[in-house]
Formats: sequence, structure tokens, C-alpha cells
Amino acid sequence: MPQCAGILDKFAIIRSMKTEPTEHFQGIDVLTRGDAPRPPFTRPILGSVVAQQLGQLDSPVPQFVLLDPCPEGNEFKSFKAGNWAGWLGAEYGPVRAGGAYAIPDILRPESISEVDHADREALRAFLSRKFENDQKSAAAAGYNAAFARVKGLMSCAPLFDLDRLPEDDRRRYGPGAFAQHALLARHLIENGSTFVMVANGMPWDNHVFQHEMHQMLVPELDNVLAQLINDLEDRGMLDDTLVIAMGEFGRTPWLNEARGRDHFAKAWSLAMAGSGIRGGVVHGGTDERGFDVTSDPVDNRQLFATIFTALGIDPTAEYDLGDLPTFHRVEGGAEPLMSLLKTG
Amino acid sequence: MPPASPNRLTDFKLPTAVLAAAWLGEGELLAGCMDGVYRVDLAAASHRKIGSHASYVSSVAAVPRHGQYLSAGYDGRLQWYDLASDQPTRSLDLHRFWSWDMAVSPDQSLVASVTGQYLAGGYKYEPAPEREPSVRVVAADTGEILLSLPHVPSVQAVAFSHDSQFVAAGNLMGEVRIWNARTGEQVAGWTTPDFTSWGIIKSHCYLGGIFALRFTPDDSGLLMCGMGPMHDPMAGNGRQLWQRWDWRADAAAKIDETHEGESGEGLMEALAVEPQAGFFAMGGRLRGGNLNVGLYGLADGGKLGSVKSGYRVTEILFSTDGSRMILVGGQGQPDQDAEGRIADFGRVEVYDIA
Repeated sequence: MPQCAGILDKFAIIRSMKTEPTEHFQGIDVLTRGDAPRPPFTRPILGSVVAQQLGQLDSPVPQFVLLDPCPEGNEFKSFKAGNWAGWLGAEYGPVRAGGAYAIPDILRPESISEVDHADREALRAFLSRKFENDQKSAAAAGYNAAFARVKGLMSCAPLFDLDRLPEDDRRRYGPGAFAQHALLARHLIENGSTFVMVANGMPWDNHVFQHEMHQMLVPELDNVLAQLINDLEDRGMLDDTLVIAMGEFGRTPWLNEARGRDHFAKAWSLAMAGSGIRGGVVHGGTDERGFDVTSDPVDNRQLFATIFTALGIDPTAEYDLGDLPTFHRVEGGAEPLMSLLKTG
Repeated sequence: MPPASPNRLTDFKLPTAVLAAAWLGEGELLAGCMDGVYRVDLAAASHRKIGSHASYVSSVAAVPRHGQYLSAGYDGRLQWYDLASDQPTRSLDLHRFWSWDMAVSPDQSLVASVTGQYLAGGYKYEPAPEREPSVRVVAADTGEILLSLPHVPSVQAVAFSHDSQFVAAGNLMGEVRIWNARTGEQVAGWTTPDFTSWGIIKSHCYLGGIFALRFTPDDSGLLMCGMGPMHDPMAGNGRQLWQRWDWRADAAAKIDETHEGESGEGLMEALAVEPQAGFFAMGGRLRGGNLNVGLYGLADGGKLGSVKSGYRVTEILFSTDGSRMILVGGQGQPDQDAEGRIADFGRVEVYDIA
């Protein structure tokens, strides 16, 4: 990855991630929520927490956006169908866009005037809010949150239109869906979104065809990460924007019979840059063959404590959840990795 | 006629997976492995490491007429060795990207090597145009680059016709091009969609393609192999597939392909033709089914025999007299043991097909 190698002074790299789940669904759950499930309670995903803590709920711009090229995706499909915002509530869930998730019917039909449209929405809002209050209906509250989001989306639909982005920017990032989504993420953050998740994990699930896939994936990731970091810095946004490049686990350091690499959670790596993160830092290490972590292992709780601290969010805070048990933003009193933090 | 279930005569291991093999002489093989080039004595079941590339060795070939043999690798380099002394005699940085496959013409005058990096060319990961010539034809004796031929990357398989007049190359998208190997004039070209997947789930990109090519004994047909399309490109469960094309027709026409019910699932990446007995072999990986090497009649394409080797087969060779079939390949790389050692996982087997 020669382009990223040229800006490693901006990255912090953890080479010693050591986590438990070795299957996609469980891995994504833990590495996006920060902890293992505790049914029936659903911990909110990182984007929902960040949107709640740092976002503007009344903003017409979606605060949490998932840009996802694949409407399906095996195990990830199940995860996508789940409850992302958890106990924070539906208003903190993501707006999904990209690829086959082009947002449909987002433009007001010409047959309905702006005044008519506003009147209809006012009537709908009055009746459904009354129902929500009278019945104390969480479902109705969820519907109202969704309508509010659609209303915001209708006003900011052009933000999601790739064709409106500068041609030179589109060319620099590259033509693939992941590259275009990363550019769109920059654009959304510039225009008021708080957290954008750019999904591209499944092409890396190389149980077969490792080389045949990596010939394309690695240069694309190299270019996209470098363009994004440089753009954020050029715009004076890098100090306020945290970029995390990670998966839910690593891959075996050895090849299987199908010329691929399988799931491997014992020793893997991720990279961060930007807000609160000290650049040019490497944390932890593995043995020579990458078979196991040999120094400074990092688990999901330490990672999330580090992410929250870098963003100025208290990782030790308790959630105020009424009758629910006590949950902390990060459980177990996990400490952030101070060597990676500018405050450290 | 080969036996339905060939009898295995010899079985031994090399340190790392064998990705390519060629005859050096009677009873002696050249093996291209993940960690270098080996000479293999079949009778003694012994091996000797000769050299290495900066990455995996993708192809090997013998050029006895010039007293040499060659290797190509994922470092894009073509390496010549002296047949008698095993000393390197010439090195040529032929490609900026990997050499996916390399072949020597039957008359031993030409070497062809194919390269190409599949990069995103569009939102749906249509392949970008090549950044360097995808096919190079080199003089076997001097190393002079004679032809630089265009294709769409990545180009993963190459073969010469038996009369050494034509060179064929197939790519990830299932596109085949055939040129006059002396002039570089393209004489045929077509695309088959049957070997390539575009991931509906998981992976929005192209994967698969043509992994081996061989001309039929009379050069009228071209055999190719790979794996049928998959809904999930990461599953590796496409149909084990060969096709035979009449490339001399005005519009190249598919003549035959793996017959219904005569294949399992898995990537096929090796083809070999046994002209005397009139059959060919296709080999690769078993993902589902009962075989990973199939023997098929050249006349009617019907399955004559099969092997379930228990490892990925990367190359198939026949002995000169047609009595033996050699399979090479590799098992999955094993984990290290308590002492930090990794067991040998390259495989060589000899089968009786008389």
C-alpha cells in the first residue's frame, strides 16, 4: 500500500487485536457495538452512540449513514436486518444508501404542491404524535422518527447524488463503489452528518481466490484511504474527524487449499487516523509469522474505550435506561490505549 | 482408454504447495512451488531446491533444445537456468505485475507469459484497461521480447498450438484471444460468460475466469477450464467446468463442455492432453462431489475416469508413453506445531493409467 505508506505519520496502527468471535455475525456484533450481546438488551452500534452524543437530532441531514454496496451479504444480511440503535431508539439508527440501496421516492411528486405536502405532513404528525402520546406507543414513536428522517432526507437528497460530486474528486477516489462511497462519506461529513459507515467488508472474505481478489482490493483501499485522509487534512477537518479502517477479525496468516485465507481473530490489525489520534504510532505486535499476539494485546473493549476517548466521549459513562440494568458505554472499566491518543 | 479409477503408484511431499510442473526428462520433474523451483526425482521420491523468485513461482517449463529450463513468478520475472548445472543464466523483468502463467512453444523457440492486474474500471468493478501489455512472446534462446499483445486484465492462462504457430490467452472475464505467434496478428477472439462470477451477495466484483488452456491434438479446438459462476464468489462452489471451442470457425463456436452429471464443484486450474489414447484430463479443487481430476474422451467429451486426490491439483502431466499420469498440487498450509515447524504441504503423485 504505497500511498498509505507515504502518510503513515497520520495513522495509528494496532497490530495486536485479539478478540473472541470467529464468525461474521458475532464478530460484527462485537466489533461494531463494542461488546458481546446480553439478550434481551441491545447495545447500540458505534454510529448510533456517536450520533447521539455528537450529532444534532433536529438536523435534516442524517446523522448516521450506512453506505453499503450490497443489499444482501450472507451473515451481514442478518446483521443489517437487526436493531442497530438498540436502547437509544430508532431515531439514532442509520440511513442506508449506496449501491442497490439508492433511496427511492425521495422527491416530492410534481402533482403535490409544497403547501399541500406541508399540510399533509402537519396532519400526519399531529395524529401520529397524539396516538404516540395517548397510547405510549414505542412503535408509533419509531414511525414518527422515521417520518422525520424522510422529511430531512427529502430536503437533502442532492447530498446523496454521486453525479453532483466534482468530477476530479470522483476520478481521484476511483470508480468502484467503495471508492465512490468513501468520497460520498467525506461529502456527508462536510455537510453535517456525524458518523458514516462505508461498508466494504465482504469482498475481503477471501476463503477462496486470495490473490485474485487482493490484486484489486488492496490498491483500491490504499488509494481510497490516502485520498480520504489527505482530503480531510486539506480541508482542515482531520483534527475533528476520526477515520477507522477495520474489520470484525483478521485472516489466517496461512493459505488454505482453496488459495484463500479463513477467519482469524487471534491476531489482527486495524488503523485509525484523525481526531484525537496520535499519528505515526504502532501499538502491539505478533510473532514473526503472525500466528499470535506477542505484545500488548487489545480487545474490543479497549478499542472502544480508545475510540470514544479520541472523540471526547466518556467511555465510563452509564446509560440512563430507566428500568433496565446498568450498562456502561464501555463495560469492565476498560482503559483507552493512551499511547494512541494525543492526550496520552 | 484410461481406467475409471486410476491406481496411485507413488505419493510424496514437497515443503510448500506445488503450483506448476514440467517434465525435465524421463522420471524427472521441474516443480514450481510457493517457495521456489525444485528438481524432483520421481523414482527416488526426492527433491532438490534450485532457486526462487521474489514471490510464488507460477510456471515452469523445459527447453532442452537450448539446454535450459525456465520459471516465471508472481514477481513478474522470467528466469532461465542451465539444464546441466542448474545455474541461473538469464533473468528478465517481463511484467510490472505478476506472471500468471507461462508456456513454451512445442518447437521450443518461443516463450509466452501473461500478466495483468484486475483493477476497478467502473462502479460495478468492470475491469479497467490494461496498464502494460498483457501478453509477451519472448525468444526462448535469447530472451528477446518479440511480441507485446493486448488483452483485458487479468490474463490468467496461456497456451501454444501444437504446431507452434498460434498462442492463445484467456482472462478473468472469460475472454479468449488467439494470435499468430510469429506476426502478432489476432486471428480469433470471443468471450464466454460461463467461467466468471459477479457477486450478487458479498462481493460486487468479478471473480473466476479461465485458469488453463490447451489446444486439441490437431489444433482445431481449444480446451479451457475454470469454475462455473457462483451466486457467492467467496463460496468456491461453482461447477467444475471445461469447454471445447472451435476457434477456426468464422465466429468461434462452443463444441462441448462438461457433461451434465459428470462434475462436482470447485475451481479447475489444470488441463493436459494425452494424444495417443485420445483423452484429456482436468484437475483442480474438490469443493463438492466425488472428483477433482476427471479424464474425458477427446472424441465425445464423456467422462472416462476420475481421481479424488484429497488436495488441490495445480498441474497434470502424462508420461511420454502414456502409461503414467502425474498430479501435483498442495494441501492447505497447516498451522505450526508446538516446535514452530510447518509440515510439508506440497504434493506429487504418480498414477497408473495404462
